[in-house]
Amino acid sequence: MIPELGHFAIILALCFAILQAGTPLFARFIRNKLAMTTAISQFIFLSMAMLCLIASFMTNDITVMYVREHSHALLPFLYRIGAAWGGHEGSLLLWCLILAAWTVAFILFGDKKLSERSRSHIMMILGLLNCGFILFLLLTSNPFQRDFPSAPIEGNDLTPILQDPGLIFHPPMLYLGYVGFAIGFAFAMAALIEGNCSKEWAHACRPWIVLPWSFLSLGIVLGSWWAYRELGWGGWWFWDPVENASLLPWLSATALLHSLVVSEKRQSFKGWTLLLAILTFTLSLLGTFLVRSGVLVSVHAFANDPTRGIFLLCYLALIIGGAFLLYGTRIKHFYQPPEFTLFSRETFLLFNSILLLTAVFTITLGTLYPIILDALNAGKISVGEPYFNTVFMPIVLPLLLLMGLAPHIPWGKMTAKKTEKKLGVIFLLSGLIAAIAPYSLGFEWHGLAFLGILLSVWIILSTLQYAYSLQKKINLRSLSMITAHIGIAIIALGVTVNKSYSSERQLKISPGESVSLANYSFTFRNIDETHGANYDAITATFDVQKNNDMPLPLEAEQRIYKSNHEVLSKPGILVNPFRDLYLALGNGFSDGAWSVRIYYKPMVRWIWAGGFLLFLGGLLSLFSYWRGRNEFT
Amino acid sequence: MNLLKKIYFTLPLIIFAMIILILWRGLKLNPAQVPSPLINKPLPHFALPTLFDEKKIVTNEDLMGHVTLVNVWATWCEACAEEHNALLELAQNEHVFFLGLDYKDDVDAAKKWLAQRGNPYQMIAVDYAGTVAIDWGVYGTPETFVLDKKGMIRYKQIGPIDTDSWEKKLKPLIAQLRNEPI
Repeated sequence: MIPELGHFAIILALCFAILQAGTPLFARFIRNKLAMTTAISQFIFLSMAMLCLIASFMTNDITVMYVREHSHALLPFLYRIGAAWGGHEGSLLLWCLILAAWTVAFILFGDKKLSERSRSHIMMILGLLNCGFILFLLLTSNPFQRDFPSAPIEGNDLTPILQDPGLIFHPPMLYLGYVGFAIGFAFAMAALIEGNCSKEWAHACRPWIVLPWSFLSLGIVLGSWWAYRELGWGGWWFWDPVENASLLPWLSATALLHSLVVSEKRQSFKGWTLLLAILTFTLSLLGTFLVRSGVLVSVHAFANDPTRGIFLLCYLALIIGGAFLLYGTRIKHFYQPPEFTLFSRETFLLFNSILLLTAVFTITLGTLYPIILDALNAGKISVGEPYFNTVFMPIVLPLLLLMGLAPHIPWGKMTAKKTEKKLGVIFLLSGLIAAIAPYSLGFEWHGLAFLGILLSVWIILSTLQYAYSLQKKINLRSLSMITAHIGIAIIALGVTVNKSYSSERQLKISPGESVSLANYSFTFRNIDETHGANYDAITATFDVQKNNDMPLPLEAEQRIYKSNHEVLSKPGILVNPFRDLYLALGNGFSDGAWSVRIYYKPMVRWIWAGGFLLFLGGLLSLFSYWRGRNEFT
Repeated sequence: MNLLKKIYFTLPLIIFAMIILILWRGLKLNPAQVPSPLINKPLPHFALPTLFDEKKIVTNEDLMGHVTLVNVWATWCEACAEEHNALLELAQNEHVFFLGLDYKDDVDAAKKWLAQRGNPYQMIAVDYAGTVAIDWGVYGTPETFVLDKKGMIRYKQIGPIDTDSWEKKLKPLIAQLRNEPI
């Protein structure tokens, strides 16, 4: 009964989505009410469907195929909620639900100064988008599909890797990001349809880019942190196609955020802003296609079915093809010759866009290259970390350099000469710190670390100098920029130091023996059998000691899940702000020895801390928008 | 508006259309199908007991002098069950030496499976630990190797053999190999 209710709720949501897509067809005076009613009903019915799905998981209703494939009687309560979006069908339902939630947020909180016509256009586009997704859900990926087994059977259980609190937060955050860009896309479409992209438009659009961007930043960070804890490889970024699929819209949205500022404050870059808004959502959809169609091999890919790929590709071609067609025919209304000099903030923001888009292009190329070659019958290859590291670095370094500079450059043209000297001093100081810091902490010279520390310290100091120069004029909006820029600097610092000074050992060790790595000694104390809710585990305990400090215990597990006998290595991690010690348990040998991998990872936490600063920066920007709105209305 | 600008404005659409075309083709390809690096190299050395007689050892020597099909299968493999009828038919109509490699399997279950469904193989090697399969670069079942008379791997079929792959690829290749000198 519950699954049928859920199925029915999705069908009703589809009807409301269709109605919403038809908003502009109705009489003007009811459009707003209609849009609100359809959006809210859609949201309610999709929430209901999601609750029905979660209820099916709670009762472990194995006659629902999706539940049977992703659940088990032994699966802990918490993961049953997460399991609702642990597979393709459920996560697609989540996607639709989040799109409906964004639509409701827009209709309730969207800037009322936006013309009624624009609003109805935006609602139409959002309705159309969700029509496509709900249809996709119903036609190819119904999570409530029933199958009554002839004999009693058990569920397949959720893959052990997904049995982690990360599953509860990472996908919803990521989707809040991906799907949120649909609003920016709808804004761009409305502007193109109306042939007008005013200051008010840019202002009204801003929160709908900033907020998804913040969620996406957080989602990526959570994913990276999860992969680090769970996969047992000690890595935090693998350039996996699906990771790239989340990075691409982020890069494009970052360019969009900056371009939007120029459109809002200087009435410039309009065509560029519209293009970036379309591109950002395109990249979100492309990511979805890559994950769900099976064209690429990835740790994230869902089990796939060719009809899904075909449906998504047609959808992509229709929506995005239409958008670019509209762009190509209407953009002439927005074209205006540039009105700024070479040394102006506009130029710097243009550089920002160019560099970020170059990054988007190279990463897209690397991600799609195996498909391109294969499609041309030119062989099978895979593109991995060396390519991405090599091409990404020369793009990011100038970007970081400019980041320290740009806030100091005024709009329009360069007038102030005062800051030049100060910035010079700051740069030299950063160089000095970068040269001395590693030595004073006992590390050797490393070119990458030098560059990374130099640029990070440079960004932090020059951004703080900018904050100082604002004096009393500092407001929430400038504070949001300062926070986010410092966040990026901290990520850069973490990444480069981590890359330069990490070390690892892989060895065979028996209880009682000890090994050393980077000033730490690891003593294998004992090995024990432990039990979890739905798994049995072998737990190895090590004592970790630096010099003659108090030894700290470190436990690594090898889990065997009862339902499907899958083995999962759960690494032990000793955390502090400056380094992680990471130990993963491998195979046991018959003589009682074990193979283990030990990693020393300096400053790895900074990468995620920087990511949280990005999220915080986004939220601050939203607060500033909120306050500005209340002041003016 | 000049032409250059028009081209510039439609550029996103053109690039997008190209990407869609490539992805469309990409949908029809299987990214998991990686060609074996062992093509045109001798089948790596192996020596395994046979299923019905543990004392009898099958090695590379047994595969010399005739065209051989080596089919990697297991009773726990659903796609192998799907392929089984095609294999029976093939064994009846084609004169090739047909070796089965029973991969990581329970010996009794394997005997029962063949008794129920029929045995297409002339000989079955038992790779209980899966080590020989690793040497051969097997990464899933079923897989089928085609060896020439010198014991060289000439082709590897990944996934079940069906009429399409048989008619288009395997059958012509076997005919060609049969005509090659030893």
